[in-house]
Amino acid sequence: MAMLTDLNRAGWRRCTTVIAAVLVTIASSGSAFAQQFPRQAVEMTVLFGGSSATIAQVLADAMSTELGVPVAAVSRTGAGGAVGYAYVKSRRPTGYDIVWNSNSISTVFHSGNIDFDYRTFEPVARVGMEVPALAVRADSSWRTLDEFAAAARTKRMRVGISGRGSFIHLVSAALFDKLGIDVIYVPYGQGTAPTELLGGRVDAALQWPSQFKAQVDARQLRVIAVTGRDRVPVLPDVPTAIEQGYDVDMVMWRGLAAPMGTPSDVIARLETAVRRVVASPRFREVSATLGFEPAFLPASEFGRVIATDDAAIGRLMAQLGLKR
Amino acid sequence: MEALLQGMSVALSPGTVAAIAAGVVAGLVFSAIPGLTFSVALALVMPFTFGMEPIPAMALLLGVYSGGMTGGAVSAILLGIPGTPSAAATVLDGHPMARKGDASFALGASVIASAFGGLFSLVVMMLLLEQVAEVALRFGPAEIFALVLFGLSTICGLADRSLIRGLIAGVLGLMVMVIGLDELDGVGRLTFGSVQLQQGVNMLVALIALFAVPQVISTFVDHGRVERPVIAERVRAVFPWRRVFGHWWLLLRSSVIGTVIGAIPGTGGPIASFLAYDHARRFSRRPADFGTGTLEGVVAPEAANNAVMGGALIPVLSLGIPGDPATAIILGGLLVHGLQPGPLLFQTRLDVIYALYMVIAVSWVIILFIQLAGIRVFVRVLRVPPHVLGVCILVLCGIGSYVIRNSIFDVYLMAVVGVLGYALQRMRIPLAPVVLGLVLGPTLEQQYRTALILSEGSHQIFFESGVAMAFFALTLLTIGWQVWSSLRASVTSKPGVA
Repeated sequence: MAMLTDLNRAGWRRCTTVIAAVLVTIASSGSAFAQQFPRQAVEMTVLFGGSSATIAQVLADAMSTELGVPVAAVSRTGAGGAVGYAYVKSRRPTGYDIVWNSNSISTVFHSGNIDFDYRTFEPVARVGMEVPALAVRADSSWRTLDEFAAAARTKRMRVGISGRGSFIHLVSAALFDKLGIDVIYVPYGQGTAPTELLGGRVDAALQWPSQFKAQVDARQLRVIAVTGRDRVPVLPDVPTAIEQGYDVDMVMWRGLAAPMGTPSDVIARLETAVRRVVASPRFREVSATLGFEPAFLPASEFGRVIATDDAAIGRLMAQLGLKR
Repeated sequence: MEALLQGMSVALSPGTVAAIAAGVVAGLVFSAIPGLTFSVALALVMPFTFGMEPIPAMALLLGVYSGGMTGGAVSAILLGIPGTPSAAATVLDGHPMARKGDASFALGASVIASAFGGLFSLVVMMLLLEQVAEVALRFGPAEIFALVLFGLSTICGLADRSLIRGLIAGVLGLMVMVIGLDELDGVGRLTFGSVQLQQGVNMLVALIALFAVPQVISTFVDHGRVERPVIAERVRAVFPWRRVFGHWWLLLRSSVIGTVIGAIPGTGGPIASFLAYDHARRFSRRPADFGTGTLEGVVAPEAANNAVMGGALIPVLSLGIPGDPATAIILGGLLVHGLQPGPLLFQTRLDVIYALYMVIAVSWVIILFIQLAGIRVFVRVLRVPPHVLGVCILVLCGIGSYVIRNSIFDVYLMAVVGVLGYALQRMRIPLAPVVLGLVLGPTLEQQYRTALILSEGSHQIFFESGVAMAFFALTLLTIGWQVWSSLRASVTSKPGVA
């Protein structure tokens, strides 16, 4: 021992460092991988166009800075998200393929269009929420859900929604069920429901607040309720359905998920990046103008939200005869 | 006045002009390559705008948009493959022109017509924004259905010799678009349990397949057997101003068609350009020349599909609601910079509105310059031997098909649809009506069903609308006239046969 110390103190020290490093590496090959993650570009599959795609691009752009590698938002739209989910599911679980997911994983599964459900993916983090809003024309006399419901009992209302079986349709069904009224659902593609409302062909429309914002500011449309637990920042004067005495709490969450089997430390690295981005003032500012509510949740809690929501959506779709 | 000066000074600053130029070049390049459209270019350019000032950011996006609207004609004319769906109608006469050795003439005419259409719609947007938005709002599902049905009646005109073959082709086109999840009910049709088929057949993939693949197959089948006539390219006036403005009345009418259709949500460039093409043929003194390379057949669709741009921006600016995916991306780009388009923007940020008008005007000037320089280069493509060009086209189409939805499935789809297209061509079934079916089918079906949902299943909704009735009458007239003239033709030709 003494001889060794005499031999070369500095050399020995160097040697131990190397051995220690090797030991650490062997002991935790997983975390070694995490230290190296990310080494290449991360691909974020985006399932829909519109404002959610813009948010995804803003998120991807900011995550690139956080992670030090490019994060590319790649659009794989079609079939209500089924195409994109199927693609990400088929990728190797390395963390380099993630999906900008939403409640659509539940609607698309329960409508029978894919044969796998949310359990195929590891939640990474919730990024935020979008809260559906019910709008009528400003020249109508309805200011509250009660007034709308009373009018709907004398005349069957036409309500513009997105496609049948979409999350928007489910929310409106839940809301009108609570109001105790029966309406005609008019499905529109490509987000034309607000135009149709302005054109007077439907009596109300349930869509995302950002789609109504310009017309609300110009006093052409009036939003009479939002369906979340809290009011939405873009429309602070609009009361929630709960405030008006109707217990509906349905919002669309958006976040990131990775294929099942992605190492937990890789997930953690991505989660941290998302947390930092969502906390940044720049992201909050952009979100506000796009009508998106940043609401970070870590992976574990996000997973619980997805599971609870999936059960609720499955029940609702069964009730509506949309479950296949 | 102050807002006007402020808006102009920002829009004409070197940074903004550079952004427009960069956008225009990106848009031109993307749309000239089949499969890479301005939608793809807009999505790719978007992240660059995040770090920019609002006006240059807007300039970049609008530059891509207007550049992308014109570039589609380049490949449509030179290769016979539409670079964007809006350029599909341009192929019908543009490509025959190139085959006759008039490629640079056709390209020049298309650029002039495009710029005219684009600037016309800009002027309409500046002067009649409210009024056009008002008209567009009156187009509900019933009216759009009638309009599109009228568009479909033009199949008769595209059916070459046999009306029956034309109808078969049109129905095939309609049926292809039925595949996939329908947008209203989310029900899978003809998907055979495949997730890939649920997304349906993308219109652009089908267009590339139908225009490019049969042509490439023919090239190789004929290779060494048929002596291909050498195309002597006459580089005449690259900018045939006088010849094009000789058709000023047609240009104007086509631009009106484009602007109005662009403003109606749920329609768009492909529909506008086919309607303009058909209306040019119908009012032409020599309708029989259409399809063989007439100037009118190029300027009408090109003026219309570029007028769509200004038209499509009308609902965005006046209502704050995008009517199609491309303007949705532009709206997103404006929102990121805290600019909420809509009626209020005119009161609060008039300078932004003026800057926006200026940016669009500048973009057309830049397009004219770039194309002027580019045409002499573009036409050299025609000197490449056909079999070499064929391989290049196939590779480009493969890449293009993939990029549209980032899906390798679409590359296979292109191959399958393309081979089917070749088979149809061999059976002498014209492809143009198939294309019309592809372009109009989804809108036709969706608007019809939405109209019936609105009316709770009663067809009354169509009869109550004056606009819809007017288009139905036009449709009947078109069909009646066509049937009558083909009957008369068969009667007069019979003695000759006997």
